[in-house]
Amino acid sequence: MSSSPLPGADAPALSVDRDHSPFREGGLLEGLTILRVGWVTLIAVGVDAAVIWFFDNEFLDLLVSTLCVGYTTMLLFTMAGNLAVVRRGLIPREAAQVIAVIAGSALGTIVTQLIKGRALDEMFTERLSGFVATCGLGIGFGSIVVTLYFYRERNARAQAELARVQAEMDATRAREEQQRLLARLQLLQAQVEPHFLFNTLANVQHLVETDPGRASLMLGSLIRYLRAALPRMREHASTLSREIEMVRAYLEIQRVRMGDRLQFTIASDDALRAAAVPPMMLISLVENAVKHGIDPLPEGGHIRITADAFAHGLRLSVADDGVGLSEHMAMGIGLGNIRERLETLHGAQARLVLTENAPRGVTAAIELPLAP
Amino acid sequence: MTTALIADDEPLLRSQLRARLVTLWPELAIVEASNGLEAMEIVERDGLDAPPDICFLDIHMPGVSGLEVARRVRELARASTDDGHPRRQPLLVFITAFDAYAVEAFEHGAIDYVLKPFEAERLAETIARLKERLAREADSAQASIEDDVIERLAQRLAGHGTTRRTTLQWIKASVGSTVRLIPVEDVFYFHADDKYTRVITADGEALIRKPIKELVAELDGARFWQIHRATIVNTRSIAGVIRGQKDSADLKLKGRPETLTVSRAYLHLFRQM
Repeated sequence: MSSSPLPGADAPALSVDRDHSPFREGGLLEGLTILRVGWVTLIAVGVDAAVIWFFDNEFLDLLVSTLCVGYTTMLLFTMAGNLAVVRRGLIPREAAQVIAVIAGSALGTIVTQLIKGRALDEMFTERLSGFVATCGLGIGFGSIVVTLYFYRERNARAQAELARVQAEMDATRAREEQQRLLARLQLLQAQVEPHFLFNTLANVQHLVETDPGRASLMLGSLIRYLRAALPRMREHASTLSREIEMVRAYLEIQRVRMGDRLQFTIASDDALRAAAVPPMMLISLVENAVKHGIDPLPEGGHIRITADAFAHGLRLSVADDGVGLSEHMAMGIGLGNIRERLETLHGAQARLVLTENAPRGVTAAIELPLAP
Repeated sequence: MTTALIADDEPLLRSQLRARLVTLWPELAIVEASNGLEAMEIVERDGLDAPPDICFLDIHMPGVSGLEVARRVRELARASTDDGHPRRQPLLVFITAFDAYAVEAFEHGAIDYVLKPFEAERLAETIARLKERLAREADSAQASIEDDVIERLAQRLAGHGTTRRTTLQWIKASVGSTVRLIPVEDVFYFHADDKYTRVITADGEALIRKPIKELVAELDGARFWQIHRATIVNTRSIAGVIRGQKDSADLKLKGRPETLTVSRAYLHLFRQM
């Protein structure tokens, strides 16, 4: 994590040899940038000017003191933040850096006195008050600067986290949007699978030769199914009776194809015949039940379609006793599409519920509000 | 006498193919299988009850597909060659109604195919080719090309049909006396609770027995993050991160009032870099 006072100021200050330089990432002086030195110099000059204004001191003399204290503190502060024990989290970074500010101020004051050619022992005797003043000022200003720095870094860290999570969520949203478009496109395409169509036609062709009466019935079913299944997305609503008719036509075709492997019953409440329902949803559920539930079983199975009143709405359910659903099976475009459309049309008032049947099979139910 | 197997799960189409074959090739003896398993038993026959010379296999059949039957046929042929008692391998003809992928794979001519509905003319061509090949001795170069085509076809169909993903897609959770099937994307988060795992969704809560540890291994790691020993969160339901004290953070969720704790071991998920 960067410890530079400003985001984007992470360039190494002095060294070019990145591998061995103490300024490299992980080095003892990581984060000691020209910018940081500049800030400390600026603060030192500023403090200097302020102190002169208040105390009427000699500018150059004081500048030497403030710069000494400032640079020493900065150096120790940077090193404290990069110590191995701090990096490993054994000592809190803030604590190490606060100690560094205090130690830096004291050390800086001592260095100042040495530069000014004063004896060390004087510092703690007749010049003690001056020492304490310089040191105290260093600690005081150092604390203010470091507090601001901590605050700033914490803010930057929180901002970066927020930005990252935001980006992650944006990406997810974009993915979802793409899926939604794909689902819509797929819905606009013909719902009739060529595989289904050719197989059905093959059956009809054979029946024409062997059993013309049944061939005619099957063609009738195919026509009813195609009429309902070919794209008609501009219609927002269909009626329950139309959807049921389409399902019946589809199942009748499948029964001819699959022989006695497929059985079905349709129980629909007559009072609901004219109820508005979104087109193509019920048939999707039935197709799923045939394709993924019954057809994979050599012995076949039974599908029961029920449409009845439920609470304040309508429930369409498709129950099969087929192979059931694997926990690892992809949801498929059909189910995703239904959920998507239900949400767009009715929000939280509608839902698609899937349950497992005993001893096996799946029930898929759509719950819809009844239009007034 | 030449024998042929017709394997197709649609009874009418079986009898249509039989009728066509009877007309075009009267001396052919025909057996039928109504699914892949039955077909498998017939091709595995041995001894007196010899396997058929020709297999017409529908690609899509419940239980065992035509491709799997074809694989078994090739396997048996290889095994008999290794035994030192080579026996003639049945000639394969695939049946399909419409399958752009499959037809493309067949175009190379290694394995014959017929399309439903069966057209007499097209079937006559196939029969002519079959007769020619039956007259020749089985040649091994042909067989290895067949292996190749079968595998390629299997791969294409696998990528095309119902895809079985390895990641968990559905949660089976008991709600009262029923077992609900919940799509994983509907789950806000999972939380370990004593012996059970709580599954929190927009519709409420459900309990499952699958422990967090197993869930982590099975769920899609890009969408579900473990953030605590006892918690897995759906990244879609994360509304924001609040930095907590010291080594933890709290997650705010969309559509839920509670916050979730991110423990120290998982904080890296929310760090920059």
